[in-house]
Amino acid sequence: MVTTKNRVVDDYLDRLDKELRGLPRARRRELVEQIREHIEEERSQYDIESEAELRNMLDRLGEPADIAAEARYRFGVRPARGGWRETATLILLPIGGIVIPFLGWVIGVVLLWASDVWSTRQKLIGTLVPPGGFMATFFVLVVVAQATVSTTKCTSDLDPATGKVLSSACPGGGGISTGHILLIALLAVMVIAPIATTAYLATHMRRGRQAADLALDVG
Amino acid sequence: MVAAKQVTLLAQMRRGTLQYCVLALLSDGEQYAPELVRALGDVEGMVTSEGTIYPLLSRIRKDGLVETTWRESPSGPPRRYYRLTKGGQAALQEFIDEWDTFRDGVDHFIQGRQAHGHDQKSRGRRLPRSA
Repeated sequence: MVTTKNRVVDDYLDRLDKELRGLPRARRRELVEQIREHIEEERSQYDIESEAELRNMLDRLGEPADIAAEARYRFGVRPARGGWRETATLILLPIGGIVIPFLGWVIGVVLLWASDVWSTRQKLIGTLVPPGGFMATFFVLVVVAQATVSTTKCTSDLDPATGKVLSSACPGGGGISTGHILLIALLAVMVIAPIATTAYLATHMRRGRQAADLALDVG
Repeated sequence: MVAAKQVTLLAQMRRGTLQYCVLALLSDGEQYAPELVRALGDVEGMVTSEGTIYPLLSRIRKDGLVETTWRESPSGPPRRYYRLTKGGQAALQEFIDEWDTFRDGVDHFIQGRQAHGHDQKSRGRRLPRSA
């Protein structure tokens, strides 16, 4: 039971920490610490035993998003606004490597990591799924094309005496093999992944923008 | 739309003045955060969710209006106590002076309106008709 309750508190503090993204690191740490102290104090003061009581206490504290919005307002932070750099990031990550081979993607990655709109986890996803964006897709496509060409080459054994064809093998020539299906699946993933990653980063950035508008509305 | 704007205005007023309510609470002596939170929560309409006090505390600490000290608690974990600094006292005093003037000014019109409210309203309605 104690572990369940601790998990509830940890989840809450985790969410708070995530929502505080964009604030100066020291402020972010201080706020999470303050809230943790508040929870511990309340728990010991009121002998909070049941999970229901604990959840009620967290409800009184409020939604992490609300606390974070208040923090942005208090510290005048206009966080996570999708500016031209974020737009450039979202263009360069998928297709930058194709427009300016390799270098375009590298610039996109640098911009991605320089932005405070995204968390470290999201930056990792943006960098690695797939590395190079459509450049990787293009690379896979080339490899697959070459592999297909080489496997459709027919090899024949000729009888040296008569010149008759003894046996002929055209691996991959006849029908669709398991290998083909796997390659097609891989290609599909390679086409979808850069789009999915870009969409993921874009939607997350938008969430940040909404939070900023909320803070600015009242500020 | 008008109602929504009024809600925003009230939220703004609350947010703007909350800082001085905290400073005023601390002018009686140091307190630890949950105590402050409870005192503010007891007054209706001041705080919607307790957690939103903490960004404020963090901010006024950074601004040097309050300072904190850790003290052992008779029960449970040590507590972080908040105390007014000289700067905090000055800021509070300055606000109190301005607030008195401001409140009197607003009251002058609001209470004046309440006294002759009906007359003003009917006069206001009559004007466009005669024009």
